[in-house]
Amino acid sequence: MDIVIRAAVLFLFVLLVTRIVGRRELSSMEPFDLILLVVLGDLIQQGVTQDDYSMTGAMLAVGTFGLLAVGISFLSFRVRRARPVLEGEPIVLVQDGSPIEANLHRERFTLEELAAEARQQQIASLEDVRWAILETNGSISFIPK
Amino acid sequence: MAEKPDLIVLGRHRDLDGRTKEAWVRRALLLAIGAFVFAGLLNVFGQRATSSRAATSDASLEVRAPSNLRGGLLFQVRFTIQAHRELENATLVLGRGWLEGMQLNTMEPAPIGEASRNGELALELGHVPMGQKHVLYLQFQVEPTDVGRRTQTVVLEDDGRQLLSLSRSLNVFP
Repeated sequence: MDIVIRAAVLFLFVLLVTRIVGRRELSSMEPFDLILLVVLGDLIQQGVTQDDYSMTGAMLAVGTFGLLAVGISFLSFRVRRARPVLEGEPIVLVQDGSPIEANLHRERFTLEELAAEARQQQIASLEDVRWAILETNGSISFIPK
Repeated sequence: MAEKPDLIVLGRHRDLDGRTKEAWVRRALLLAIGAFVFAGLLNVFGQRATSSRAATSDASLEVRAPSNLRGGLLFQVRFTIQAHRELENATLVLGRGWLEGMQLNTMEPAPIGEASRNGELALELGHVPMGQKHVLYLQFQVEPTDVGRRTQTVVLEDDGRQLLSLSRSLNVFP
């Protein structure tokens, strides 16, 4: 019983943390972020299974994570009002070549970082961008003029 | 003005109408996590050891042990008995709170005898000359599934006569 409760609590805690740290941190995958991801997984595993090395324990934990992942996804799909809470909402960062400072500030994005993101999409200047939208998964969609 | 992409609502996604509280909720939750981590630094969740003392004219007893622990942690408990007079046959009687949900890995120095006394663990330590100390170390590990608060009592006896008692509380976090 304990392992299911521990897995559920840690699943919800990780969901909470990933929602509040912001999309910017989640979208990048620098070497440091990759290491952090592996370490995070290890820390969670210890908290969930502790000294339980059994296959049954692992199956219970994985099953709990899987069920909750589907449950959250289902909730987000069926309940419109839950969607902004569970997944967030897109934010417009650039309109007609003009960056929206307040929104960049809110997401802790600098103009330099935004320009770098644009260059990765083969866009040389933000002036060539009609819309830049920070999506709920942390990526930025650029729609050129 | 550029035509907006499908399903983008300018009021909500550009001007952030009705979304100002989101940032505050996020900050509040971050603050809560920060407070949780800070509480960890302040030993709220263990495992720094604290001391408790009790004394009479016959003897004094100091218990040094953590009062907050988490499942799976290894920890040490140290009992220091100071004899103010000759103790012929000192015995420590540990209440169930010391052992319930715990793994007792080792005890040093090993007591002369061990017995159950009405469900409690009696450790016979033997002779302690006047003015001398007897230090007993117990090494424990918290069982990972053990959670909750319990009272830990310890009684010091000499030849079956109670000299003093001491009570502590222990919180085990999941």
